[in-house]
Amino acid sequence: MITLNTLERRTQFVGLGFVTPTFLIIALILIYPVVQSIILSVGQSSVDGFEPYQFVGLKHYAALMVDDRFWRSLSVTLIFTAISIPLELILGVGLALLMNETFRGKGLARLAVLFPWALPTALNALIWRWMYNADYGLFNAVGLESGLISEPMNWLGDETLAMASMVIVSVWKTSSFMALIILAGLQSIPRDLYEAGRMDGMSRWQEFREITLPLLKGSIMVALIIRSMDALRTFELPFSLTDGGPDSATETLSLYAYKVIFEFVEFNAGAAIVVVQFAVIFALSLLYILTLRGKD
Amino acid sequence: MKNRPRFTLYLLVGLSVVISFFPIVWLILTSMKTTAGIYAWPVQYWPDPVTLKNYWSIFTETPELLRYVLNSFIVGVGCTILTLSVGGLSGYALSRLRMRFAGVLMVVILSVSMFPPIALLPALFQSFLQLGLLNSYSGLILAHTGLFLPYTVWMLASYFRTLPVEIEEAARMDGMGFLRIFFTIILPLSWPGFVATGLIVFIFSWNEFPLSLVLMTQDAMRTAPVGISLYPGEFAFPWETISTATVIAIIPILIITAIFQKQILGGLTAGSGK
Repeated sequence: MITLNTLERRTQFVGLGFVTPTFLIIALILIYPVVQSIILSVGQSSVDGFEPYQFVGLKHYAALMVDDRFWRSLSVTLIFTAISIPLELILGVGLALLMNETFRGKGLARLAVLFPWALPTALNALIWRWMYNADYGLFNAVGLESGLISEPMNWLGDETLAMASMVIVSVWKTSSFMALIILAGLQSIPRDLYEAGRMDGMSRWQEFREITLPLLKGSIMVALIIRSMDALRTFELPFSLTDGGPDSATETLSLYAYKVIFEFVEFNAGAAIVVVQFAVIFALSLLYILTLRGKD
Repeated sequence: MKNRPRFTLYLLVGLSVVISFFPIVWLILTSMKTTAGIYAWPVQYWPDPVTLKNYWSIFTETPELLRYVLNSFIVGVGCTILTLSVGGLSGYALSRLRMRFAGVLMVVILSVSMFPPIALLPALFQSFLQLGLLNSYSGLILAHTGLFLPYTVWMLASYFRTLPVEIEEAARMDGMGFLRIFFTIILPLSWPGFVATGLIVFIFSWNEFPLSLVLMTQDAMRTAPVGISLYPGEFAFPWETISTATVIAIIPILIITAIFQKQILGGLTAGSGK
């Protein structure tokens, strides 16, 4: 005879069993390394971790404060995020509005939105690197032949141009993801609102401004935060496209941290960079969770 | 007059399709050129002559590139299976078993999903080195699983929530245990959710870069994106080999996306909207 109480207790017990493997793996692969990074960042240790660890306080953080390359990579990351996210948002909303219409060939259009998202960023960056090539690249060829440019451009060799080139690749790849999130929001707007609007003689622009945009605010907020977090941790794009060059003009925080850790082999200094980056992104993710909470 | 907006619509759609596809088209065209054709100026838009020699050389001269693709397959399949089985159980528990603290646990899972991978690198490299997990499939599979589990749990939990509760309650009345309910009722009902999630996790794993770069240090163990990015190293950049290898490395992903676009689209929007 099973009473309700024992069933309840058994449910809790089984539930615990079901979630344990997940939390073990998450603790091992996500939580422990972040804690360990914090510990590494306030100490001195050998790369293999076999030498005894020595606590050194905030030494590595103090060193970062006077490290020009750190500040440069921080500003590269912020500028990259600040330019690419608004562009993506505009294109994303546009694409979402397009995809929300009914037309023939919608399958193909949907595929066109998914393809850039599905490509590995690192290989995508290689493809563009070849198109940007100053000597044999597609862009210079088309630009010269169409008269858009008068001489070959060194797309990835000039500091400003390299940043712009990196932004273009990123916008090409990720606007579609932004569009997908916004499209999901669009599809949840009740149809009759538009019918009511039509009765009132609203123009398309008025419809967009007074019905669509206010109701999309939630999805846009979610899309913005997800994409900003992604942009703030951009790694393989500059790794494959420019290796951070020319002269660190496209060196993001992630790329700089990677180089400090694995090329200069300074685990503790690198851990400090990583912790700073983590703090920025974690603050943003809290904002995201609060936004989601507000939606329910 | 009525045709005007349709025309604009098709124009814009056409434009987006062209912009989305042209880098891939250019990549494929490049891979079918001879070495002279690739480095020709003015640029050779159409391969002349068209050659499949580069594809042949991947088998004969640079077989390591196929090895990278094989590694990606092993890691991707392993990660998908592990992620779905572990994440499926906890997604079920957190969405259907009326567990205490389920809400808190879901928020914990959501917050850890936002950890930047670079923040994991110093410690993961050290512990994998000490545990002898560097350059092992099981090591990278475990790392990818950790990375993509949060997404999986959220996706599957939201899928389980769409199933009617009554079936489970009836089964419980009949005296079925939790495991039996999960395997004989929930799993068969929710396979579309598993398929969508699994495909997306496979694509995530195939494309993952920072952890694959750092945890697989031997050339023979590299995954496709990493191996091709590092190929061949410092001095030369043989684009004929690189573009051919890139085509081979993205084809599986493009095929999956093309065949399962509806499932993937549904999975992505469900995961991000809610």
